[in-house]
Amino acid sequence: MSELSDRILALSKPYLGPAAESFLARQCKGHLSIEMTALTSAHLKDLAAWVERSGGLIMDAPKAAELGKKIAAM
Amino acid sequence: MRPTIKNKLVGGFSAVLFLMGVVAVIGAYSVLSLRASALETARVGDRLNSISLEIQVHNLEAQRKIGSYLTEFKQLGAEKARETYLDEAEFEISEIESLAAKGVHLAPTAEKRATFQVISDAAAKYSDTLDAAVQAVEKNGQVKEESTAVTAYEAAAQQLSESAEDGEMAGRDASQTSQDNIERVSKRSVPLVIGVSLLGLVIALTMSYILSRAILLPVEHLKEVAENVSMGNLKMSVRRFSEDEIGDLADSFGRMVTAVRFFQSEAEAAQAVPATEGSGR
Repeated sequence: MSELSDRILALSKPYLGPAAESFLARQCKGHLSIEMTALTSAHLKDLAAWVERSGGLIMDAPKAAELGKKIAAM
Repeated sequence: MRPTIKNKLVGGFSAVLFLMGVVAVIGAYSVLSLRASALETARVGDRLNSISLEIQVHNLEAQRKIGSYLTEFKQLGAEKARETYLDEAEFEISEIESLAAKGVHLAPTAEKRATFQVISDAAAKYSDTLDAAVQAVEKNGQVKEESTAVTAYEAAAQQLSESAEDGEMAGRDASQTSQDNIERVSKRSVPLVIGVSLLGLVIALTMSYILSRAILLPVEHLKEVAENVSMGNLKMSVRRFSEDEIGDLADSFGRMVTAVRFFQSEAEAAQAVPATEGSGR
């Protein structure tokens, strides 16, 4: 895990709990076509958009949007 | 300060305790006021009565001594009669004057003070007329003058007696006034204590209702969500009602439900497309 991916994981834990790591790995692999450990700041905007979109399916939309904004602001 | 359940409970019960304390202070104050008024009744009324009676007794004693002086003056001689009767009579009169002054000092109202001032004036007049009568008697021979002076002395003695009776009435009135005070204080304090108690009760009931709602509403919501999740319904949304411990519990529970939803969707995706990757979630 890179430092950036660790920070994103720590940021996501309060929203997704034990599913945070799998969820982020799924977004990276499925939508960005990279491993989570390969995340760079260039990927943050896209990742934030996918977190907001996919996260809205498993949690309240405002919460997913909040998490997306936090990731984009990193 | 964070509005935790502990803080809410401590604040609520402190407010109720404070109100109970206020009620207790008002109650204690009323009881002590009544007690003070009752003691005042006993002290002032009884003392004024007793002063009036003492004046009557001293007056009677003085009159008896002076009567003896007047009848035995010629037999005993001026000096002996004065020593035997008059000195004691003068002592009785000084006692009357002293008691009347005490009555003026103790009397609770201007009206009562005036009554005891009349006794004091009557005692002074009594003393003056006695001096005049003694002088007339000791002049020996002027019958008309002696008779006038003795009559004036007797009238003063009668006036003093009547004034002392008025003093007794004033003492009884003072007792009645104090009793009226007690009734007034009790009439005023009873509705006050009842009012504050009712206010305390209403506030305590309101606070209990608010506290119970603050605790029960989010707990009932969590119970409903937990029941639904346990039956497989993961579509329930967990709301955070308050910024207290139950709010934190709702957050944790919501996180858990989110994770379960995700793992369930992963499992369903894996079942639907076993050969390829899932839909991206």
